[in-house]
Amino acid sequence: MNFGIIIKVLGTLLLFEAVVLLGPMGISLYYGESHYPFLYTIILLLLTGGIMRTFGGRSKKMQAREALSIVTFGWILVSLFGALPFIFSGVIPGFVDAFFETVSGLTTTGATILQEIEGHPKGILFWRSLTHWLGGMGILVLTLAVLPALGVGAFRIFKAESPGPMSDKLVPKVKDTAKILYTAYLGMTILQIILLYLGEMSLYESLVHTFGTVGTGGFSVKDGSIGDYESSYTLWVITFFMIAAGVNFALYYDLWKGKWKNLFRNSELRLYLSIIVIAGAFITANLLLTTFYSGFFETLKHAFFQTAAIITTTGYGTADFDQWPEFSKAILFILMFVGGSAGSTGGGIKVARLLILGVVIRREVQRLLHPQAYLPVTLNGKAVSNNIVSGVTSFFFLYMLIIGFGTLLISLEGVGLVTAVSSVAATLGNIGPGFELVGPTQDYSQFSAPSKVLFSLFMLFGRLELFTVFLFFIPSFWKGK
Amino acid sequence: MEIIIVGAGKLGYKLAEAFTIEENNVVMIDVKSSALDRADSQLDVLTVKGNGAQLSLLKSVKAGSKDLLVAVTSSDEANILIATTAKRLGCKKVAARVRNPEYSNQINFVKKEMNIDYIANPERETAREISKYLIRGKALHMEDFAGGKVVMTEFRAKNLPLAKNTMLKDVEMPGKMLIAAIQRDGGIIIPHGDTIIKGSDLVYIIGEKQTVDNYCLECGKPSIRKGAKKVMILGGGKAGYYLAKNLIKSGVHVKILERSEDRCRYLAEELPEALIIHGDGTDNHLLKEENIAETDALVSLTGYDEENLLVALLAKKHGVEKVIAKVSRPNYVPIIEQLGIDVAINPVLITASEILRYTQGGRVAALSLLLGGEAEVIEIITQENSSIVGKPLKALNLPKGLIVGAVVKNGEVIIPDGNTVIGPDERMIIFILQSEIKILKKLFYKTRGGIFGELWDNYKGLRDPSSI
Repeated sequence: MNFGIIIKVLGTLLLFEAVVLLGPMGISLYYGESHYPFLYTIILLLLTGGIMRTFGGRSKKMQAREALSIVTFGWILVSLFGALPFIFSGVIPGFVDAFFETVSGLTTTGATILQEIEGHPKGILFWRSLTHWLGGMGILVLTLAVLPALGVGAFRIFKAESPGPMSDKLVPKVKDTAKILYTAYLGMTILQIILLYLGEMSLYESLVHTFGTVGTGGFSVKDGSIGDYESSYTLWVITFFMIAAGVNFALYYDLWKGKWKNLFRNSELRLYLSIIVIAGAFITANLLLTTFYSGFFETLKHAFFQTAAIITTTGYGTADFDQWPEFSKAILFILMFVGGSAGSTGGGIKVARLLILGVVIRREVQRLLHPQAYLPVTLNGKAVSNNIVSGVTSFFFLYMLIIGFGTLLISLEGVGLVTAVSSVAATLGNIGPGFELVGPTQDYSQFSAPSKVLFSLFMLFGRLELFTVFLFFIPSFWKGK
Repeated sequence: MEIIIVGAGKLGYKLAEAFTIEENNVVMIDVKSSALDRADSQLDVLTVKGNGAQLSLLKSVKAGSKDLLVAVTSSDEANILIATTAKRLGCKKVAARVRNPEYSNQINFVKKEMNIDYIANPERETAREISKYLIRGKALHMEDFAGGKVVMTEFRAKNLPLAKNTMLKDVEMPGKMLIAAIQRDGGIIIPHGDTIIKGSDLVYIIGEKQTVDNYCLECGKPSIRKGAKKVMILGGGKAGYYLAKNLIKSGVHVKILERSEDRCRYLAEELPEALIIHGDGTDNHLLKEENIAETDALVSLTGYDEENLLVALLAKKHGVEKVIAKVSRPNYVPIIEQLGIDVAINPVLITASEILRYTQGGRVAALSLLLGGEAEVIEIITQENSSIVGKPLKALNLPKGLIVGAVVKNGEVIIPDGNTVIGPDERMIIFILQSEIKILKKLFYKTRGGIFGELWDNYKGLRDPSSI
């Protein structure tokens, strides 16, 4: 393995994180809070990053092995250093807790160990939400977009970090593709900030909630999350942007290029929107029948907000959905596994994979009737190669396997089965809240340190799509075979 | 530049590799997904699966707004159709590969009537290079630069008047020439003062023409040798046909060995002056019967690299003075030197050089790819605002993989040292390893260095709507 290039790129990544931390430091200076937690972290980052960049190798040779190592270690390193401001400021004194919170932020999970959020320094909470924005589209993709190109290696990194069964370039250069994706992301962010600011939120609140929405994270600066806001306008704006962030960003490029037809033809988008409408409608009906809320529009608002929050794996809450009738809870539980579209900022299994799995099942049924038939698996009218199909099926199996083993391990804490399953599903799917003890009004502070480390690992597993991280648990990878 | 390459075969891949090194945006089109997968995993290009001659496909990749389209699929007719369609759609420059000798007389007609800017013919280029070597007795890599004022040539180190294992700094060079590079064990080294030159090395020398010619005479290897009189060609394919035609024109006696009877008949009709022999070129008995020991040169041009190499070895054993083998795949390049074959010629590389030289237009005046494309010799004309202008060379911090071989200032050839200051409008002949090619952009265009320079370039790129 070419450790030189790995160290060098990771060094660049840390320098980059130092630059990003200037933002929250500015916020804390503006609000007259102590900016030292950030300053110390920045100094540490500059030192470590600088040393790594200087002593990293000159050889640019990058094979799959190096690219995958960069992605996995990059995320771990950025999380380790990102945890420092929480520790230095005393907001989260314990290291494991601070690491959990940062990983949860970067992987856009939004699971928190903070029991009370209001009252903490604004700069720290700003950093907490900013991690969502960075992690949403991928911190390495961002680095690729603005920093010196790595050539072919860049595409391998891009592939490893972007979610979905197949990640294709939009334009010939990885660097330009990353730029386009971030331009769309930035445009969406600015639009939402303006729309939220026009409502009842202050500029600061608009910023942090936008980061939480477009990154599909879910950290809020309010104890009651979005539920603390009165107006329906704010809720609908956030609902809309959560759904928008769960769409493949490549489609926004098509939209920009005037290729409207591609949007209608995209079967993943159609299924994704259908699931939201159908699930939202069923929950609305269920809540209306049990007269949980007063009035149709009030019910509709909460039902769709929560549907969008769970399927896009954002995890914002307006209501304690743990109190909802069982049928609605069951729908939400299933949605936890669906997740956003491929190439979006959402987590979960991804609609595209479910679509492919559906076609595979249909193919098996057809094969019973026509044993000799040649039946390709297609997505959006194009044949999907067998490599991708088997990748998708093994992804699904591994996902379920991790949920199973995870539930076993978390059960050792003595929590109920629903808590155990939903906490693993909520962290692996990068959602945040689950049910019962990890429900929307609860948090993860009750778990022991080993469980928190395990949850952090699940979050990384989910964000980097299992195999990238899983590779490092295979002994032969380390033996250089 | 925005570039489309149709056909992801050997030549298409090589071109894409060369283009992407220079920060161009390349789209590759091919019908075979296996060829595209290879390009995808090794090059920073966008791959599109499909038939490049299809109008809807060309439109969907925006062929009309591209700067260049190169059609190098396996079919001549398809290449012409693709190139002419793209030109009609509005593509600025189009190039096509046409290799069938039957079309060779109508190339100019096709170019004019079909509106194709450049037509490459690898077989003819290959044949031209070989006949240049055989007839005029030039060294294969005897390249002219700056209108013939500067030449580059290659030597076996053992032919040079050197003591064994001399350090480069102790080598005495007469006047205006220098050792630019050393080829050793299948790789190219840019030497420095302490590099020890071994007898088995192949050294590349750049210098003023007169000086190099004199030096060649001194070393007992005249740069102008006696030309070959009797040549045997193995394989009467396209390249063999072109080569035979060239040689016959210069009065060389040509013998062609060809396995296929139909092809023999065709060759006999088309090349009445040549002696066509129907038989297997690897047959030792046949070779002896055809008096191989008496021929001046043997050129093996069959479709199989392995066969070409083995026959060349066989011929060497029979005492043929010059043996040349065609090797299209880069796989064997590192070991060819050890086999003792005089020249291994790579049509892909020759054509790639030709196309690159054509497409790079004004900036690069001449270009030549060496050893599997591992290194390039480029002639560049400096501009007023190039960052290389106005500073002594030693202050530029040039990388180890680059050497300025010669500078032509007001018509005078100068071999530069660390204190030479380059001015605008001068011709520089640069020897550079492929891995360092990116530096050229920095040196010849005004850009800022470092992370902030990158950011600034990106910022400019973001403002330019065409980049997104």
